[in-house]
Amino acid sequence: MTTITGLGLVLLILMVLVGGKQGWTAFLSLLLNFGFLYFAIILVAFHVPPLFVTVTIGITILAITIFMGEDDLRTTITAFYSSLIVLGLILILIFAVEHWAMVQGFGTEDSDELEGMSILIGISYLKVSVTTTILSTLGAIAEAAMAIASGLTEILENHPERTNRQLIHSGMAIGRQIIGTTFNTLFFGFFGGFLALFIWFLGLHYSFGTIMNNKIFVAEMIEILISFIGVLITVPMTAWVMTKRRKSVVDNSMKIK
Amino acid sequence: MAKGFWTEQKKWLLIALVIIGGGILFFTSHNERFYQQPIAKVISEKTTGKRKTKDQFENVDHQYNQQLKVRMMNGKYQGQVLTVQNTYSDSRPMDQRYRVGNDIFLTQVRKQNGKLSANVDGYKRDTVIVFLLWLVTLMLLLLMGHAGLLALISVVINAILFLIAIEIDLKQNGQHIMLLFSVLAIIFTFISLLLVLGFSKRMLATFAATVIGTFVALGVSVLVFSWTHERGVYYESMEYVTQVPRPLFLAETLLGSLGAVMDESSDIIATLFELKQLNPQVTRKQLFISGRNVGKSIMGPLVNVLFLIFMVDTFTGSLLYIKNGNSWGYTYAMNMSLGTIQSLISGIGIVLSVPLVSLFGALLLGKGTRK
Repeated sequence: MTTITGLGLVLLILMVLVGGKQGWTAFLSLLLNFGFLYFAIILVAFHVPPLFVTVTIGITILAITIFMGEDDLRTTITAFYSSLIVLGLILILIFAVEHWAMVQGFGTEDSDELEGMSILIGISYLKVSVTTTILSTLGAIAEAAMAIASGLTEILENHPERTNRQLIHSGMAIGRQIIGTTFNTLFFGFFGGFLALFIWFLGLHYSFGTIMNNKIFVAEMIEILISFIGVLITVPMTAWVMTKRRKSVVDNSMKIK
Repeated sequence: MAKGFWTEQKKWLLIALVIIGGGILFFTSHNERFYQQPIAKVISEKTTGKRKTKDQFENVDHQYNQQLKVRMMNGKYQGQVLTVQNTYSDSRPMDQRYRVGNDIFLTQVRKQNGKLSANVDGYKRDTVIVFLLWLVTLMLLLLMGHAGLLALISVVINAILFLIAIEIDLKQNGQHIMLLFSVLAIIFTFISLLLVLGFSKRMLATFAATVIGTFVALGVSVLVFSWTHERGVYYESMEYVTQVPRPLFLAETLLGSLGAVMDESSDIIATLFELKQLNPQVTRKQLFISGRNVGKSIMGPLVNVLFLIFMVDTFTGSLLYIKNGNSWGYTYAMNMSLGTIQSLISGIGIVLSVPLVSLFGALLLGKGTRK
């Protein structure tokens, strides 16, 4: 048994123990997301336009993450709609920023690993960089949308008489409570992955100016900051979508009871 | 949006932030004099030659020569105009196509026979980072107010601590990296939660659940590592390694999962507090069930958040492997296996924390109803 299989089994068992059926679907969603991510790489390798791959695989990953992470349709549909809107907005921003920053492909620090490779593969690395930045942000957007939507559903369930204003207010209140830690998730997620790179930078005494213009550093910072922006847009967007959908949410609550 | 969003205070904050932002952006795009390295601005560009390249894997690309007329922006040749050569390709993996108005770094600026010559070194990107930092700050403060400010401070403090820890690690040549980053993880958690939640019982409950969850997950994973004799763990495929890879990898994983576990713990506790506020009579059992419900619905998406962050970074590398005639399996092993392991370990931490934090929250807030 390889280590990946072993860890996968441990995760599967824990997820089923804690979440029951929902835990099982959460595990399945992880597998499916892996499948679609790998599929995206294969598609791009076969010269399918990266922007098309981004949008289709992006929507698929959002749908998998949201609908398989939670059964309650009152939460998921709201979260899905709002994350789709955010995906559209973020796509425009990323497109502009990536063309401005030109951080596609590889940096000089990657030279060792590229040895013996043919890097002129005839696929625009700039378009690929748009794809990767968006895909790395999607999880955070879906997660924030679900946190807000599920909190608001709990509130609507207990207090269906709340007005739209109060609902947005509650949504922003939940947003304020989760924003700090959501930022920490993203910060640690990204910085953890780049510990080695920072040891390299500081070990070789890169100057502040060099780091601020370094291709890999800037690419990484763009990913973090775009994720932050994505999450920030998601909070009011989800609260707003919830006010539009409150009627069906409350009706469904009645039926469940 | 709700009325009353644009208070007088927010209007002034927006105006102040826009003015400050404009000033900072103007400064960053005109800060050439603070750089040691020569910088020049492209004033005209001309693509001269085009040739087709083809490798043994049938990848077709085109390379172009570009003649750039640039004006020196700093140093002793400031204001002088020179011509430099650049090459770029269709795919642009490590090369760039420059356009009029771009700022570029130069090396080996020298004067021969009264004529300046230089080599192109790279593109000036600091303005992009500054712009995005400003945009994030603006949105944080306007949308989230006080909480946004604290989140910002927390990220800044964590970033500084992170850099200090790396300096300490470098002084020790990476000898005690696991110990160092374990201690740092605990400090990170404490400071972040202190800033986000303030010092309270609620913060201590979240803190305890986060630390226990993260370290138990790492412990379980290290056990699995030894049971499976680390088969299929390719440390040699780690990027940018300058120290012993294995402890470095574990430290990366520890940090990577820490934020997510913290996130989940505080999401659950936040909802429990909202419920408690709406209904002060809520019982422990109700709270535990609500907490577990929130946790159950967050854990899947949260594992996916980290999964995407860890795995998408390997996208470009994997693409290159496939286009270089490697099998899909080998591409996976060499690029994605470590990311998969990190995702799985973080997942274990995230799942373990759900019952832990629901229990702590319920004990803390609920009214006992046992008769």
